[in-house]
Amino acid sequence: MVTGLAALVLWVACYLSLPALSRWITADVLGLRRGTALASAVEFFVFEAPKVLLLLALVVFAVGVVRTFFTPERTRRVLAGTREPVGTVLAALLGVVTPFCSCSAVPLFIGFVTSGVPLGVTFSFLVAAPMVNEVALVLLLGLFGWKVAAVYMGTGLAIAMVSGWVIGRLGMERHVEEWVYDVTGTPAGADASPTDWPGRVRTGVATVGEIVGKVWPYVLAGIAVGAGIHGWVPTNFMASLMGRGAWWAVPLAVLIGIPMYSNAAGIIPIVEALLEKGAALGTVLAFMMAVIGLSLPETVILRKVLRPRLIATFIGVVGAGILVVGYVFNFLF
Amino acid sequence: MEDNVKTVEILGSGCARCEETYRVVRHVVEEAGLACEVVKVESYQRMAQLGVMATPAVAIDGGVVLAGRVPKAEEIRQLLGLR
Repeated sequence: MVTGLAALVLWVACYLSLPALSRWITADVLGLRRGTALASAVEFFVFEAPKVLLLLALVVFAVGVVRTFFTPERTRRVLAGTREPVGTVLAALLGVVTPFCSCSAVPLFIGFVTSGVPLGVTFSFLVAAPMVNEVALVLLLGLFGWKVAAVYMGTGLAIAMVSGWVIGRLGMERHVEEWVYDVTGTPAGADASPTDWPGRVRTGVATVGEIVGKVWPYVLAGIAVGAGIHGWVPTNFMASLMGRGAWWAVPLAVLIGIPMYSNAAGIIPIVEALLEKGAALGTVLAFMMAVIGLSLPETVILRKVLRPRLIATFIGVVGAGILVVGYVFNFLF
Repeated sequence: MEDNVKTVEILGSGCARCEETYRVVRHVVEEAGLACEVVKVESYQRMAQLGVMATPAVAIDGGVVLAGRVPKAEEIRQLLGLR
């Protein structure tokens, strides 16, 4: 408890001293003249890198603790007992808080479908789980404020629910590989998730070690790209390419984003830099969602259980949802 | 020493976390000189059969004891009844 509080105080102190620290490093330690492209890029990097990593550690810890309350097994039990459309809505919400990694997508899919969770409900979960990413959510909150974060979460959930509902209506059960339905398994229920608070906190700390330990190079790379854009790309450069006036920008952003795969933490600094240089919010949001919500590796993995028609439908429906979100936001903001 | 354990299965689609889990289990088994078999299973049928929905997972003689995370060596020792 005391250690925890001390860690939190230290965290806040580090976080608050970042602006001054980054100016000091750029101007005094490195001796860069203010106003040059290099100084601007370096200051961006030395400010954003520790800031994003600090935010990331805090969020991942909180999420690690929250997730000890939600296990795939428990989520499946809840979903197997509900019908559409309630199940579709619930699945999207549970998709946000249930621990999920795209490498578990197949066993999870089989587990859901064979225990009687409808296909549409399963997809609602499978879309929401990667798309509404807690890391992305809190980074957006920290970098752009609650409005953008709320918009991201709301639209992400909406896309998951609508996609799940549409796929459910299309009756595509026969486009699931047949062997999936022939599997007879017993739900193991061995999640071994801690149920006491010290255990939950330990899980949170372990999650920080595991996730931050894995994503930090991507985060730094993302911030470096962001810093490059920040320093050298002229302010309104993106306005013509990704601005509101360019109708083709949203579909292009989605098309480029789908095959790309990055983790959420790495894409946010790029998003920040693009927005700053005049790209429209909807276009950038669409790009980000396409990158983290739909990825080539995940579809390749899902091919093991889904026939090509269903994969194509999945990408098509979710892609269309992202497209609509992009246009709506460019129209609204 | 628990000599009754015959097979330890590490279930996962071959991602980095599954490899790591395999290494941890092998290390513990070799260190303790156990005669049991350590197998890496990538078959989704087998995962479904065991009811695994989160990988990496570890099953001892067909019973899932851990799922969805990379275990520490100490945990595996306990699960194998070495401590």
